[in-house]
Amino acid sequence: MSARSLVEESKKRGSALVESLAIRAVDPMLARDFLRLKNMVDEQSSVEDVAYAFVQDKTGHVMVHTFQKGFPVDLLVVNQDVADETVHIQLLADGSRRIYDFAVPVLVSDGHLGTVRIGLSQARIQQAVQHQITLMAGLFAGALILATSIGTIFARRVTARLGRLRTHAEEMLTGNLDTLSGPTSGVHCWEKQNCKITQCPAYGEVRRRCWYIAGTMCPDCNNEGNFQCRLESCRKCSVYRENAGDEIQDLAETFDVMALTLKTHIDELCDAERNLRDQQRLMRTILDVTPDRVSLIGPTMRYQGCNKSFAESVGMSLAEVEGKTDFDLFEEAEAEERHLAARDILESGARLDTQVKVQGADGDRWYHVVCIPVLNDEGRIDGLLRTDRDITDIKSYENQLIQAQKIESLGLLAGGVAHEINTPLGIILGYAQLLQEDVESGSQIHQDLAIIEKQTQVCKKIVADLLGFSRQSESAKREMCFNNSVMEAISLVRHTLELDKVSILTQLDDRFPIIYGDPEKLKQVWINLLTNARDAMSGKGGTILIRTRLDAPMGIVSLWVADNGSGIGEDVLKKIFDPFFSTKAVDKGTGLGLSVSFGIIKDHDGMIRAISPVPEDFGFPAVQGGQGGVGTVFEVNLPLDHQMGEGQESEKE
Amino acid sequence: MMNKARVLIGMILLLPVLAAGLVACTDEEPVRVDLSKREALVAPRQVDAITYAYLPQYSHTISYQRHRRMLEYLRQTTGLPLRQIFPDTFDEHIKMVERGEIDISYSNPFVYVRLAKAGAQAFARVIEPSGEPNFRGQIITRSDNAEIRDIADCRGKRWVAVDPDSAGGYLFPLGLFFDNGIQVEDFETVDFAPGPGGKQEKVVLSVYAGVYDIGTIRKGTLDVVGGKIDLGAIRVLAETRAYPGWVYSARKGLDPEVVEAISKAMFALDHENEAHKLILSAAGIRGVIPAKDIDYGPVRELAEKLGLDR
Repeated sequence: MSARSLVEESKKRGSALVESLAIRAVDPMLARDFLRLKNMVDEQSSVEDVAYAFVQDKTGHVMVHTFQKGFPVDLLVVNQDVADETVHIQLLADGSRRIYDFAVPVLVSDGHLGTVRIGLSQARIQQAVQHQITLMAGLFAGALILATSIGTIFARRVTARLGRLRTHAEEMLTGNLDTLSGPTSGVHCWEKQNCKITQCPAYGEVRRRCWYIAGTMCPDCNNEGNFQCRLESCRKCSVYRENAGDEIQDLAETFDVMALTLKTHIDELCDAERNLRDQQRLMRTILDVTPDRVSLIGPTMRYQGCNKSFAESVGMSLAEVEGKTDFDLFEEAEAEERHLAARDILESGARLDTQVKVQGADGDRWYHVVCIPVLNDEGRIDGLLRTDRDITDIKSYENQLIQAQKIESLGLLAGGVAHEINTPLGIILGYAQLLQEDVESGSQIHQDLAIIEKQTQVCKKIVADLLGFSRQSESAKREMCFNNSVMEAISLVRHTLELDKVSILTQLDDRFPIIYGDPEKLKQVWINLLTNARDAMSGKGGTILIRTRLDAPMGIVSLWVADNGSGIGEDVLKKIFDPFFSTKAVDKGTGLGLSVSFGIIKDHDGMIRAISPVPEDFGFPAVQGGQGGVGTVFEVNLPLDHQMGEGQESEKE
Repeated sequence: MMNKARVLIGMILLLPVLAAGLVACTDEEPVRVDLSKREALVAPRQVDAITYAYLPQYSHTISYQRHRRMLEYLRQTTGLPLRQIFPDTFDEHIKMVERGEIDISYSNPFVYVRLAKAGAQAFARVIEPSGEPNFRGQIITRSDNAEIRDIADCRGKRWVAVDPDSAGGYLFPLGLFFDNGIQVEDFETVDFAPGPGGKQEKVVLSVYAGVYDIGTIRKGTLDVVGGKIDLGAIRVLAETRAYPGWVYSARKGLDPEVVEAISKAMFALDHENEAHKLILSAAGIRGVIPAKDIDYGPVRELAEKLGLDR
């Protein structure tokens, strides 16, 4: 375009030259003043790029020209069409150069005097064009380099900031949320507004601009609506106008806010996770320390979890239990029972609360079973929680309690009956003794009366025992020597026992422990234990070892009566203290001996128990003769503490 | 960064292509010529013709414009080969008449008086556009020149005149000054319009420019320069008496038949005829009437009075 403009400009210049020459040539042409004409055309050729100039008269004859030797006749046949007043331009080519030929008629009024021609070399135009091109190319290249440099600098600035954002993003990916991508400069809203509202969430905040903070209390702010609504009100705020930057700064600041929010969120999640973990640990601890067997069963009847106790009971680890069914964990009968119970609960949603007896390798065990359906958020049954509490011991205590209550009831009954029978028995005994005095000694009647007296005495003894059993008899407790009580009882029965080939060995504590008790009743207990031991020999003779020991630190004194008799079976051992329980023949014993002894010892706050066979570490002496059975040991513990015994006694009285 | 460099290199490589495009824009189809093929040119011999010259009181262009139609008319009417020629000065004109180079001369009465001495014979005179066969000279000054109110004020002033041989432009006003007791020596300067042709206009322009205090011109000149200057700025101080107007004279020895034919054609020009009116208007005259040498007695008297009778 520029080159074309240059050409056009040159054409205009040539036109002006030739027109000027045509006007000036009028007078010399009219005057046929060749010198002036010659001077005029020569003046033209002094112009730098004018190749030639010449003037033709109206017949076409060349009046003057600028050529030195001859006139190039070719010029006479080109650019001849100059009828009108306009300038005619013809591009000519002569060997190496090009020339614009300008022709214009010389007119005076409407009279045609001739033609003026000027040749303008294109070399200068070309040179100008070339110069223009070079200049433009230079300018273009310069502008390009400048633009590229500026663009590069600008792009580098932008990419540097974007790069920093990317780096921070990568750091965020690796977990570092404490990066700061946006600029830290700029005034803060509370400084700019001279704000005193310290409760405002934006007050003192340096990592976020105020417009990123919801719930600001600035009266100029729109605190409602979403971020865009709030931001709209910020655009008029001087704080925003001073601090808001370009898009990249917006991005960086949004990025920072995001990172900060994310960090806060993650911190909260971490706290929640820690809390949850603590709760889980606590729950696990609670579940594991409880002896109850706790298990959680899912809706598909598979175990979802359990506690340690449950896992141990089925011999698996906690992880192994998960996903198992009842049939994987228990024997078929028990599994069937548990499965049916669970299915009923899952179907009905009713709570199950029952006690079941389970047969195990070490005997039957009782369990208190509680099954509770677990509901999900929608209120549907999503599983069940089952707790099996081992209540075998409680069951045992329950049995003992029942037995005690039974004995107490029986004692009351027996006491009442004995008290009533005692009086007539005394009268019968008195009259029998009186009648014996009235009849002849040795007579049949006397013998009969003696039998009556004897049997009555037996009855009285039974009644007395019954009264003792029911604690109807009076107790006379006092400080007494424990060993003396034992020795008295031995001396009373030693002779009789020796008749039955039963020898008595004593290992008494030589510290002569003193207790607070009833000597007579205790003696009755010792005699009972000795006679029972003798009876355990079945008449074959044997050895009875009596041992006493004072345990001062524990405050008790203990007595052991061991024999090498036939021993007591395990099932019998539990019942030997029951009233009227006896393994003897019908007329051989009343079965009240041990139960009365039990009552007396209990009255002394003591304890009595039987162990059969005799433990090997008991130290029973190796003896010859006798049946050599497994033997039985009765152990009696009595407290040394008089005060308590006295207090309890008085309380009972 | 590699991509940027590649783009930059690509753009720089594009530059020559763009430049070539610029050059291509100027391309036209040239006509082949061989400027080395030269010949010496010789002017064709001019056809013999009766030469016609207008005393160069105006520029050649105006002279040509004024008389072109007249010559065309005469050529057609008389069938004679007439050609207008253009002497540069009054003196040259006179000498060319004397040398016989000008056959028909159209001159002012003073020049005619000198031509007559060389044997020229008046045969026609013109009627001025005013309708009179006479014309006058004028003394002009600038309208804003308060110092010059009448002819007497011209004493001691700078005077520009057309030519020493100009009738209306010098000699008539010189006679007027003479009659008012002012000699040539009384002026500070007396200069004549420089160069060839256009002398009447030059006088007006010199006064208009303030280079001279007064100027003298042929009456009617102000109409000629009306398109160039504001005529309100020029004041006509005085006019001379009327003298016989411009005259057509034939050189000594010109064929009387030719003079007869030409004069007959000239007299036939009728101002009422549209075609003739064009010819007469272009020449600045109203008509042509017969003239005799005796008509120019007043001019000879003036010349004598001014001491110009040589």
